Amino acid sequence: MSQEMTASAASAGLPATDLSPAERLHVAGLHTAGRHYTDAATDAVLSVRDLNVRFNTENGVVHAVRGIDFDLRAGKTLGIVGESGSGKSVTSMAILGLLPPTAEISGSVLLQGKELLGLNDKAMCQHRGNDIAMVFQDPLSSLTPVYTVGTQIIEALTVHNPTMSKQAKEARAVELLGMVGIPSPKDRLKAFPHEFSGGMRQRVMIAIAIANNPRVLIADEPTTALDVTIQAQVLEVLHTAQEETGAAVVMITHDLGVVAGMADDIMVMYAGKPVETGSVDDIYYNPRMPYTMGLLGAVPRVDVAEKSSLVPIEGIPPNLIHTPTGCSFAPRCPLASDACLQGEPELWPVPGGAPGGTTVGTTGGGLPHQAACIKTDSLGLEVDVREVFKAPAVPESRFDAIPRAERRTVLELRDVRKHFPLMKGALIKRRIGTVKAVDGLSFDIREGECFSIVGESGCGKTTTLLEIMEFHKDQDGEVVIGGLSNKQAADAKTKGAMRKELQMVFQDPTGALDPRFTVFEVLSEPLENAGMFKAQIRQRILELMELVGLQPDHVNRFPNQFSGGQRQRIGIARALAVNPKLVVLDEPVSALDVSVQAGVINLLDQLRAELGLSYLMVAHDLSVVRHISNRVAVMYLGKIVEIGDVDSVFDNPRHPYTRALLSAIPVPDPVQERTRERIILQGDLPSPLEAPKGCNFATRCPVFAALPPAKQEKCLTLEPELAAAPAPTDQQFACFYPDGELDEDMLVVHDTH
Amino acid sequence: MLRYLAKRAATYAFMIFLTTTAGYFLAVNTLKPALLEQERIPRPTPEQVANSFRLKGLDPELSPWERYVEWLTAIVTRWDWGRSPNGAFINAEFGDRVWISTRLFLASIILTLIIGVALGVYTAARQYKASDRVITSYSYLVYIVPAPIAYFLVQLGAININETVGERIFFVTGISTPGLEGDGWAQFVDMLAHYAVPTFAITIVGWGAYQIAQRQYLLDNVNADFVRTARAKGLTRNQAISRHALRVSFIPVAQSIAFTIPAIFAGGFFAEKIFAWHGVGSWSIDAIALQDVNAATATLAYGSVIFAIGAILADFATTLVDPRVRVQ
Repeated sequence: MSQEMTASAASAGLPATDLSPAERLHVAGLHTAGRHYTDAATDAVLSVRDLNVRFNTENGVVHAVRGIDFDLRAGKTLGIVGESGSGKSVTSMAILGLLPPTAEISGSVLLQGKELLGLNDKAMCQHRGNDIAMVFQDPLSSLTPVYTVGTQIIEALTVHNPTMSKQAKEARAVELLGMVGIPSPKDRLKAFPHEFSGGMRQRVMIAIAIANNPRVLIADEPTTALDVTIQAQVLEVLHTAQEETGAAVVMITHDLGVVAGMADDIMVMYAGKPVETGSVDDIYYNPRMPYTMGLLGAVPRVDVAEKSSLVPIEGIPPNLIHTPTGCSFAPRCPLASDACLQGEPELWPVPGGAPGGTTVGTTGGGLPHQAACIKTDSLGLEVDVREVFKAPAVPESRFDAIPRAERRTVLELRDVRKHFPLMKGALIKRRIGTVKAVDGLSFDIREGECFSIVGESGCGKTTTLLEIMEFHKDQDGEVVIGGLSNKQAADAKTKGAMRKELQMVFQDPTGALDPRFTVFEVLSEPLENAGMFKAQIRQRILELMELVGLQPDHVNRFPNQFSGGQRQRIGIARALAVNPKLVVLDEPVSALDVSVQAGVINLLDQLRAELGLSYLMVAHDLSVVRHISNRVAVMYLGKIVEIGDVDSVFDNPRHPYTRALLSAIPVPDPVQERTRERIILQGDLPSPLEAPKGCNFATRCPVFAALPPAKQEKCLTLEPELAAAPAPTDQQFACFYPDGELDEDMLVVHDTH
Repeated sequence: MLRYLAKRAATYAFMIFLTTTAGYFLAVNTLKPALLEQERIPRPTPEQVANSFRLKGLDPELSPWERYVEWLTAIVTRWDWGRSPNGAFINAEFGDRVWISTRLFLASIILTLIIGVALGVYTAARQYKASDRVITSYSYLVYIVPAPIAYFLVQLGAININETVGERIFFVTGISTPGLEGDGWAQFVDMLAHYAVPTFAITIVGWGAYQIAQRQYLLDNVNADFVRTARAKGLTRNQAISRHALRVSFIPVAQSIAFTIPAIFAGGFFAEKIFAWHGVGSWSIDAIALQDVNAATATLAYGSVIFAIGAILADFATTLVDPRVRVQ
């Protein structure tokens, strides 16, 4: 239903499609110049009008949020999507009144018809946690460490229900913990936050937020800090929470996959302003603003094998100290023309678009499809986003034509192990157990291929990289890098030779670059180490800058003068300086925004083809892995459970863990997200002390849970070895019952729409 | 918990034994009371000196090792810490002096802690306001002013008051008026008159450190994520800070408080000297001046014990206020 419909039309349930074109224009607000919303919808629980937030900083006034309007109805979900700095978190904090007093907020926020802006802290407390509640991003720091979980939940009840009895509050707290899926909730009330894992703490946060049955629940990046399997669990809990309370949900995220399945409406934000709004289907299937189109094209898909380059959005978001005079996206937009710089475009209804989420097949909750672009009309379904953004062609490597078996091996691991003793005691230490961080790893990487290791945090991915970089003859197991074995690496010379074969790119580009080194110094250091002369070094550095897509005349700048994506390019240039055969990539894009990430991934793809590089990549984002890798290994508790060609493993996963991992990844495709069946693993990674005896995964395995006890015995006593899947696929897995029936308790289908 | 404390106590007992032994050897090798005896008039013969010392268990002709064994045996078997060159018994002197130090410091340290922490919380809640700037500047000032100078200034102030009033209200030195006659009330007033000046002086220079620490730790937590969570539940900013941030910021402060408390019994050299209360602090320095081996070692041992108790109390306090710390 549209916001401007008269009360009688709304009550009559008149679909907007039955309106005449003129009425529709009126509904869309075209008759009120500039502002498309005037009155709040009568049935909206939360109505935001022209919300503006300004911060006074030392550099001037930052206009962080510049005019947001939306209506949210009970039971509906609005997804606010945007990159860091787009103003999405500031918006939520402004609604809740949690911004510092120095922030200037104007506009209107109506919660069930009551104005929230301008209320003082005390008056606002009547609402916060009662009819409007929030879940924050980082569950590790969001709970007070010195109080028990029960105390913190009960506090939320006490604040708003002073007369509730102690027993009633405790009973309610137990009920809440049970609702968010914490096992034996009664005992866990007395636990402290540090006794909970990150996912469990986020569940507690949700329990606190829904304690008083809020009408509106705001979730600010609730799963960003969590592993994919845990993310799937927490999203499931949020879903249940919404069903239980009937609350309207505002879901703030940068991940287009996360909101695809959850949201009814989407608002895309850029530079503090909504640039496109509409029902989830409108936004995903018919984006009409170049930024939205770019954002959707920049996300790799975990479920698509077809190889195409990602859409890179060049440049960086504008600085909001200066009010944009034209379209704020124009400097990065490939379609920008002079007209785009003449005044900032307002949100206009998309021609033919739904005025209020009533288009056939859509599931919108009320936001009309609008876009802030003067070229909206020409950006229909027939426009190919890859052409618009000039996505590079898929690079071809000279190795692609050679069969894998005939290519040279650049890295080989044979039965590499790293066990850490677990000690106890202060003065006299005694060993109480072993952490098998890496437990018998064997794989090889051939020339020109990208090999990725995936798994949850704590599965041993990073330890594997460290073991390879360690390259010491006392290691348990053999590491062969470019024909050099660690068992012969007694002298520094072999190690030096190995470093020329293998280089590393780190996760956090800001932390990995010395802030006091210019780019020139960063890049010349490895070259000097390799014994190059000055003149050669200079030439090589200019070459490298061009290679990674940076301007060569920027070599005398310091890292802080570059954006995150550019810094990662510097990191890649540094790794490539000595012409290595193999580059180790440790989460190379996880610290970058989606639009920037696409550019770096394309660069990595291109470098691999042009220079004939091999990559060993560790990443938690399986979509990125699928996009860039040739082969993949899935690790669980220090062991490879499945390994093989990326398409065979992702399209036809055999090991239950791989199946669960893949199913946990949200796909940026609303229809698919709504209908697909997903496996929700129970619990967290077991602690190393409780590592199971037989198959490591048995404790969480959905197949194991569905097996008859007679068959379960085998999983509990024997350790499955890696065995090859039937030819011709290049795939191995370690499971006794691949493709087994899955336990129904762990399967979920969202068939809500 | 008890087992843990017992283990820690045993470790410290061993360390105290080591430091005391090392201290004894250092003292016995460097402190030569016989030299001071030479300055007496009439000058005693070396034989007289040696005899006198032998009777007091300070025989300078024995080797340091022999004297150590003798000294240690006396402590272990009879709890006898020996005698001073002037013949006084360490045990007897010790009890008196600890009591004097305790009386001097008890009130002022308690006041220091309470005022310091309270002002820390007060100033953190009013960061950068005039009251915060004044109080915090004052704290930094007393941080850099040497304690003896502050004590002298307070003494001068008290004397000034006495002169202005024309009557002796405050005593700036001493513990009590010798030979004071009268009932309990008169005794009490006399004690207060002696007590006020040193207590005031020690307190006003002491609380600065606690104010600065508590203010800093609280400010670190005022904008913590969990305070934001508490506000999102419906607590006002001040409620969220006092219920959540304060408790967390108190963890490090509690540790340093626990460490300070035993210092009540250890005394302080400057305060005792300037206000002429002859407690443990001044004794430890005097012992060296008087070449008194046993007294110097005893004060050293006492200092180590106080330190150990402080450390154990600090551990205990941390486990008390921070549930994340587990005792194994």
